Amino acid sequence: MPKKTKPDDLKDLSFEQALKKLDETVQALEGGELPLDETTKLYEQGMRLANRCTELLSKAELKITQIQTAYGGGGEALEDETLSGDS
Amino acid sequence: MAVYSVSQVAGYLKDVLRNDPVLPDIWVQGEVGNLTRSAAGHAYFSLRDGAATLRCVMFRGGGIGGDLIAEGSAVIAHGYVSLYEARGDLQLIADIVQPEGVGELQLKLEELKLRLEKEGLFEQSRKRAIPEFPKRIGVVTSPTGAVWHDIQNVISRRYPLVELVLAPALVQGDQAAPTIVAALDALGRQPDIGVIIVARGGGSLEDLWPFNEEAIARAIFKSTVPVVSAVGHETDYTIADLVADVRAPTPSAAAELVVPDRVELTATIAAQRRSFTTLMANQLIGAGREIEALRRRLERGLPDLDSLRLRIDDMLRTAASHLRHRTDVNTERVKGLTMRLESLSPRDTLRRGYAIVQKRDAIVSSASQVTSGDVVAVTVADGGFQAAVTDSSSPKPTPRRTPKKKTPTDQVSMDLFGQE
Repeated sequence: MPKKTKPDDLKDLSFEQALKKLDETVQALEGGELPLDETTKLYEQGMRLANRCTELLSKAELKITQIQTAYGGGGEALEDETLSGDS
Repeated sequence: MAVYSVSQVAGYLKDVLRNDPVLPDIWVQGEVGNLTRSAAGHAYFSLRDGAATLRCVMFRGGGIGGDLIAEGSAVIAHGYVSLYEARGDLQLIADIVQPEGVGELQLKLEELKLRLEKEGLFEQSRKRAIPEFPKRIGVVTSPTGAVWHDIQNVISRRYPLVELVLAPALVQGDQAAPTIVAALDALGRQPDIGVIIVARGGGSLEDLWPFNEEAIARAIFKSTVPVVSAVGHETDYTIADLVADVRAPTPSAAAELVVPDRVELTATIAAQRRSFTTLMANQLIGAGREIEALRRRLERGLPDLDSLRLRIDDMLRTAASHLRHRTDVNTERVKGLTMRLESLSPRDTLRRGYAIVQKRDAIVSSASQVTSGDVVAVTVADGGFQAAVTDSSSPKPTPRRTPKKKTPTDQVSMDLFGQE
């Protein structure tokens, strides 16, 4: 059932992928000439993608890593990682 | 004794000049005079001091500092000395002109700049675009400076969906250049780095000096991902800035350049949401109209039940009236027939005065059926009576046709027979 797989798919999308998909969805809708049920599906998908994008934008937290260089500095041990908000 | 042509001498002189240990790569100091600029954009001038003059030319696009060549200005020019055969002039083909008083370091820098430029390290055509949505961003800078903080702040505010990967380096002093090169190398081995920022805050010309080193220029040049440089302040251009794919005026500006702004993105997404909501609504409205139109067509196509009902009613009424009419007609016919039947009844005839005569229950319709003395029953309209026959006048049968003579009845019937 697509109902089950689609939200899971969205969760796996990066912001860039979700935004790209959203853009494609809007373009497909703007292309018009689609049957109503197709439009409805695209509309729902667009809504979910827009929500996903907004959620990613609002919940994300910057992740910071420091790597080992010749200068020293600290390497992976100094990692100051903050998990981003998404799952 | 050998005799040479002028051309041979000129060629020989050019060789001598080219192979001289000093003249092919020389810095000359003097005052600019006799400046003319050709239509092609070349600058012809003299460098002179109190005692001597040297002809010079700087070809258009042939070097740096061409704008410093001005009548009477004191400059230091770099180039090579050559012979212009057509005129027999010795001249300096200049490729760098710097104002007089510039230190040796600066002159060396200009030389390096010119060399790298000729090698193509600053080529606009090789500048790469920064990805729109980088996943990881490499940062080469000091881990303790304000620059690193500024970058984190800007990225965190604008687009916190990325990972910042700090490759710490020294950003000033003699040891800086190798650590910067090492940091760039280390980032080069990291996966998914979309762009690298090489940054340092403002400082004196000496502070920024490491970013003018050839090793850094080459490290930036060979980086597989685009490099954004942000060294010093807006007015300071280092060689690193010239090689970098993008030069940002400040580290904060570099951070803004490498990520999109989430406020703008949110607005874009909201606009798209509105856009497809409108599209959806329009399609629904359109579909509604279509349904309405179809419904109307359907209604037009359906038979009108009311008029059908009226028609049926009409037909029933017509049928009933036909039936009634037919019944009336039949009744009339029955009446007529009855009357006709009645008129045929013998009773009526009897009423007109006729009588029925019967002899032993047989109707007497001929005189020959009776003879004198017979008693017959006579029926009249209102009853009957007995009567006796006193005379009979039946006609006599013809003689030749009566072979036998029996009863009068026979005679009568024979008579009847003969009459046929």
